[in-house]
Amino acid sequence: MNNTNDEILLQELAEQEYKYGFTTDIEMDIAKKGLSEDMVRFISAKKNEPEWLLEWRLKALRYFHQMELPTWQNFRHPNIDFQDISYYAAPRKKPQVNNLDEVDPELLSTFAKLGIPLDEQKILAGVVAVDAVFDSVSVKTTFREKLKEVGVIFCSFGEAVQEHPDLVKKYLGSVVPQTDNVYAALNAAVFSDGSFVYIPKGVNCPMELSTYFRINAENTGQFERTLIIADDGAYVSYLEGCTAPMRDENQLHAAVVELVALENAEIKYSTVQNWYPGDKNGVGGIFNFVTKRGICKGNNSKISWTQVETGSAITWKYPSVILKGDHSVGEFYSVALTRNYQMADTGTKMIHLGKNTRSRIISKGISAGFSHNSYRGQVKISPGADHARNFTQCDSLLIGDRCGAHTFPYIETRNNSALLEHEATTSKIGEDQIFYLNQRGINSEKAVGLIINGYAKEVLNQLPMEFAVEAQKLLAISLEGSVG
Amino acid sequence: MITQLTTSLYNQLVMAAPDCLQPGQEPKTFTDIRSQSFRKFKQLGFPTMKLEDWKYINLQGLVNQSYSLEDSLPGRPVAHERAHIPGLASYHLVMVNGAFRPDLSDSIEDSGITVMPMAEALDELLFAKHFAAYADKTDNPFVALNTALFQNGLFISFDKGSVAAKAIHIIHVVAGSESLFSQTRNLIVMGPNSSADIVETFITEQGAGKSLNNLVSEVVLEESARMQHYILQTASSQSSYLTHTEIHQSKYSLYNNYNCTFPGASFVRNNINVRLAEADVEGHLYGITLTADDQLVDNHTIVDHLKPHCESYEWYKNIVQDASTAVFNGKIFVREDAQKTNAFQQNNNMLIGDKSTVYSKPQLEIFADDVKCSHGCTIGQFNEQSLFYLRARGIGEEQARILLVHAFAFDVTSRFSNEAVKNYVERLVEEGL
Amino acid sequence: MLSIRNLQASIEDKQILRGLNLEVGAGEVHAIMGPNGSGKSTLGNVLAGRESYNVTGGSVTFDGKDLLSLSPEDRAREGLFLAFQYPVEIPGVSNINFLKTAVNEIRAYKGFSPMEAKDFLNMVKEKQGLVEFDAKLANRSLNEGFSGGEKKRNEIFQLAMLQPKLSILDETDSGLDIDALRIVANGVNQLRSKENAFILITHYQRLLEYIVPDFVHVLYKGRIVRSGTKELALELEEKGYDWLKETVDAEAEKAI
Repeated sequence: MNNTNDEILLQELAEQEYKYGFTTDIEMDIAKKGLSEDMVRFISAKKNEPEWLLEWRLKALRYFHQMELPTWQNFRHPNIDFQDISYYAAPRKKPQVNNLDEVDPELLSTFAKLGIPLDEQKILAGVVAVDAVFDSVSVKTTFREKLKEVGVIFCSFGEAVQEHPDLVKKYLGSVVPQTDNVYAALNAAVFSDGSFVYIPKGVNCPMELSTYFRINAENTGQFERTLIIADDGAYVSYLEGCTAPMRDENQLHAAVVELVALENAEIKYSTVQNWYPGDKNGVGGIFNFVTKRGICKGNNSKISWTQVETGSAITWKYPSVILKGDHSVGEFYSVALTRNYQMADTGTKMIHLGKNTRSRIISKGISAGFSHNSYRGQVKISPGADHARNFTQCDSLLIGDRCGAHTFPYIETRNNSALLEHEATTSKIGEDQIFYLNQRGINSEKAVGLIINGYAKEVLNQLPMEFAVEAQKLLAISLEGSVG
Repeated sequence: MITQLTTSLYNQLVMAAPDCLQPGQEPKTFTDIRSQSFRKFKQLGFPTMKLEDWKYINLQGLVNQSYSLEDSLPGRPVAHERAHIPGLASYHLVMVNGAFRPDLSDSIEDSGITVMPMAEALDELLFAKHFAAYADKTDNPFVALNTALFQNGLFISFDKGSVAAKAIHIIHVVAGSESLFSQTRNLIVMGPNSSADIVETFITEQGAGKSLNNLVSEVVLEESARMQHYILQTASSQSSYLTHTEIHQSKYSLYNNYNCTFPGASFVRNNINVRLAEADVEGHLYGITLTADDQLVDNHTIVDHLKPHCESYEWYKNIVQDASTAVFNGKIFVREDAQKTNAFQQNNNMLIGDKSTVYSKPQLEIFADDVKCSHGCTIGQFNEQSLFYLRARGIGEEQARILLVHAFAFDVTSRFSNEAVKNYVERLVEEGL
Repeated sequence: MLSIRNLQASIEDKQILRGLNLEVGAGEVHAIMGPNGSGKSTLGNVLAGRESYNVTGGSVTFDGKDLLSLSPEDRAREGLFLAFQYPVEIPGVSNINFLKTAVNEIRAYKGFSPMEAKDFLNMVKEKQGLVEFDAKLANRSLNEGFSGGEKKRNEIFQLAMLQPKLSILDETDSGLDIDALRIVANGVNQLRSKENAFILITHYQRLLEYIVPDFVHVLYKGRIVRSGTKELALELEEKGYDWLKETVDAEAEKAI
C-alpha cells in the first residue's frame, strides 16, 4: 500500500493539529526561574506548610543535587536546564475556592473548552468528581460535600496538608521515597499541588474520582503529587487526564503518584495522557517523566493501573506495584501510541514479596512515523513470595518503516514455586485487512481506526465507560490517515 | 559508569602488557591492533554489576586475585578421553590451558581443511582479512583483553566446497595445580559452500587448580557455507569461563549453535553473537543449561538481522537446581533494511532448587515493519499433575522427573542434527539431575 | 447494470486478464467457471479494486459509472459486494461493530442518517436467520477463530446486511460441506430479486445445482471462451477442463 495516496494520507496524519493546543490568557503568579533552597522555601511558604514538610522538601533537594541523570535510555536524551524552569505558577485569584463564583471565568471557560465540567449543577449528579489542576495549583474540586457524607476525602494536596496532616505525614513518600530517582527527588523538592484521596474502612467510593491536569504557563514545569489511600476493604476508581498548549520549547512534567491499598482494598487508577506531543518535526512537546507506584500493603488487596498514552514528546513512565500483602494482585494495562518523533518508554514493575501474589501485564505499543516505542518492565519474585504468578503480554504494532518497537523485559525469579509467562509479538497492519474493510464501504482511515481499537481492546476494556469512549476516539484521531 | 578496579589481575595484566606488546616478531599491523585493544581494555577495566550487560554477575571474586599468566609446564601430558563422545566419528584437536597441542591431536585428512596454531597463522591472508574484524566491534572488555594479550589459539580454514567427513572435536583441557589465567583466540573461516560439524568440549583435569579462562572465537561463514556448532561445557567447579563467540554470516549460509552447559564449572559467561550480515541467511541458536550447586551460568546472545529475508530461531532451556543461578539475556535486532525477517526467540526455565535463581531478559529491538518477530519466556517447575500421572502408571518419582526433564529439553535436543552428540547430551542431562 | 469491455489486467507484470467482455443485467445470475489460473479470482479482485492488480486496458461501467476510477470503498458504497475467497481475521474488532460501521458508511454515502440502534439490531436478527448464522458469532471478533464454513456464512450474512446491487461470490463454495453449501445457497436464493444481480465464481458445477444461474461463462487464459446456460456447466463437468483446453487451444491454432 505504499502508493502516493497513502503518502498523502500519512502527511495529513503528521500535520494533524493538536486539538488542545490553545493558551489561556489569565493573570498568573509565576516565580522567577531557577532551582534553589530559596525556591523550595518560597513554595513551601506559599503553601503555608508545616516545618516538617519544608525539611522533607529540602532533604529531597539535597538528594537531587547529588544524583546523576539517568543514562539507560537507548535513544536521544534531552538536555534539561533545571535553572531555566519556573517552579511555581498559579492563577492570581485566590487559588482555594469552594464556590464556583470565585473562580476566574477565564479558567472556567478553559476547562469547559477541554470538556471538563466544574459546575456540579451541570453534571449528571454522581457521575464523576473532578479535581482540576491548572499549572501548579488545584483550582476546583467538585462534589466534595457529597463525598464527605460517606467519609471520602478528596481534595487538593495543599488542603490535605492543612486539614489532614497526620494522614499526609504518615503516607507521603512511603511508596516513592524522595531518593527513588532523580525526577522523584525533584518533585519532592518543588511539588506545588496535586490530589489527595482517602477512602475510609469499608467504603466503596460512590463515584469515579478524577484529576484533570492542564499546563498553561510558559517556561514552567509541572510537578504535582497524588496520594491515594484505600483503607481496609475500601474501593476507589480514579481517573487522570492531561493536556497542554502547543509551544516550541519543551516543558517538563515530573509528577509522582503514590497508591496505598490496605487489607482487602482495591484501587483502580486510569490515565489518558494527551500532553502536547510536539509538532511534526519533533519541535516542542512535554517531557513526561513520571514516577507512579502503588503498594498492596494489606492481604488480598489489589491495584490496577490502566493507561492510554498518546501525548508527550518523551514519556518515561513505569506505573508499578509492590505486592507485599499475601494474595494481593497487581495489574498493568497499557496502550502507548507514538507518531512523528515521539518517544515512549513505558512499562511496569511488579515486585512480588507476599505469598500467592499475582500480577498481570498487558502492553500494546503502536509506533508510526519516526517514533520509537519501548516496553521496559520488570517482574521480580522474591525468595519469600511463594506461589507467585505472573502473566505478561507485550505486543507491538508498526505503521511505516521508519519507526521502531522495542521490548526490554526483566524477569527475575528467586523462588522455585513461581509460575511466569511472558509473550511478545510484533506485527503490522495487514493490507488485506484494510482492503477487506474497504470492500465493505469503510475508508482506509476508519479501517485503521477500527483495527487499532481492536488491537488495543483488552486494555480499553479496562477503562471506565466514559473514558473508554474518549480513549477510542483519541486513538483513532491520532492515527487518522496512517495506512500501513 | 566505568569503575577501574585496582585488582591484582588487572594490575598483573597491566604490568605484563608492555612485554607482549613489544614490536618484534609479530607483524606491525597486528601489534597495532593489540596495542589499540589494550588501551581499550585498560580504559574499560573489568566490568562491574553497574553495567547493564553484567548486571547479574559479580566478577569481583574472580578478578580480585592473582593468577599465573603462563602455563608453567607447556607440553605437559594430559588425558582427554573423558571428553570423547561415544559413537561420534571425529578428529580430536586438543587444547591444553589454551594452547593447541598437535602432539595430542589428530591430523585432518580431508582436503581443503587447514588447521594450525594461531601464532603460525599471522601471515595467512584469511587471518589478515578476518582477525579482530567482528568480535572487537562489540564493547566486551574481555574481547579487548583477549585481542591484546592472547598467545594461543586455533586457526581453521575451509577451502571453497570442502567438507569435513568427520566432526572436528576441539577439546579444551584445564590442567596443572597452579591457579591460571589463560586466554585462547580462535578464528574459523568457512569458505564458500563448505560444510562442517564442530564440537567443542570443556573439561578439567583432576587435581587442576583454580583457573579463569577467557576464550574468544570468530566464526566466518562465506556464501552458502554450513556449520553445526556444538558447545559442551562439562568442566569442574574450579574452572571458570568467559567465552565470546562472534559469528558473521554471508548470503545463503546456515549456522546452528547448540550451547549446552552441565553441572560443574562454577562460573560460566557465554556471549554468542550472530550477525546475519547478508540476505537469505539462516542463523539459529539453541541452548540447554542444566545447573547445580552454586553454579552461575550466564548466556548472553545477540541475533542481529541486518538484511532482508533472513530467518533466526532461538530456543534456550534452563533447568536450575540447588542454589545455582541461570541468566538468559537474548537480544534480537531487526535493522531498518531487514524487511521480511522471521525472528523467533523462546526461553523456558524450570526452577527446581530451593535457593536457585533465574534472570531472564528476552529483548526485541525492531526497526523494520514488515517482519514476523516474537519472543516468549516462561518460568515454572515440574508439573505436579504430569508427575502424578506418571507415578500412577508405576514409574518411580526419580525416573518420572528424568522423563519430564527430557520432555522439557526435547524442543531443543530434537534440533540436534548430529545423533551421537544428541545422545551424549541427553545422557549428560540425565546424569546432571 | 455491469458492463465489462475488453478488460485487461496484470499482477506483478504477469498478464492475467486478456480482453474480457461481460454484460450483467439486473435480476440476472451469472456463473463464471474455469480451470485454475484462468483469471477467475483476478476478475473479482479487479472489480473490487484491489491495488496489487493493475488494470492495463479496457473499461468497466457499473450503473453508468466508470467503476475503475472509484476507490474500493466507493465501489462498495455504490453497491458492489465481493464475498472473499479467503476472508481475513481482524482481532478485537467485533463483527457487529464492524457491520454497523459499514452500514452507516454506506448510508452516509447515499445521504442517509445513521441507522437507529434498535432498527439495526432488528435487521441483524432477521438476516442472521436467513443464513442460519449463530448469534454468538455475530458478537465475536471479525472472523477470528471462525471455521472455514463459518467465515463463508459470515460473508453471506454481510451480503444480506449490506444489500448490494451486484454481489460477486469468489469460490464461496470451496471448502464447504453439503450442509454449509445448502445454507449458503439458500441465503443467496432468498436474496435474489429483480433489482440485484450475482456473479458466482466457481471451479465446480456443484454450487450451480443449488443456485441456478441464468448464464454460464467459461473463462480460460483471461478471456471468456464459451457462454451458455446451465447445460454448459453440466457439459464441462462431464468432459472436464482438459477437453475445454484442448478444443480452445486447437481453435486458437486454427485461427493463426
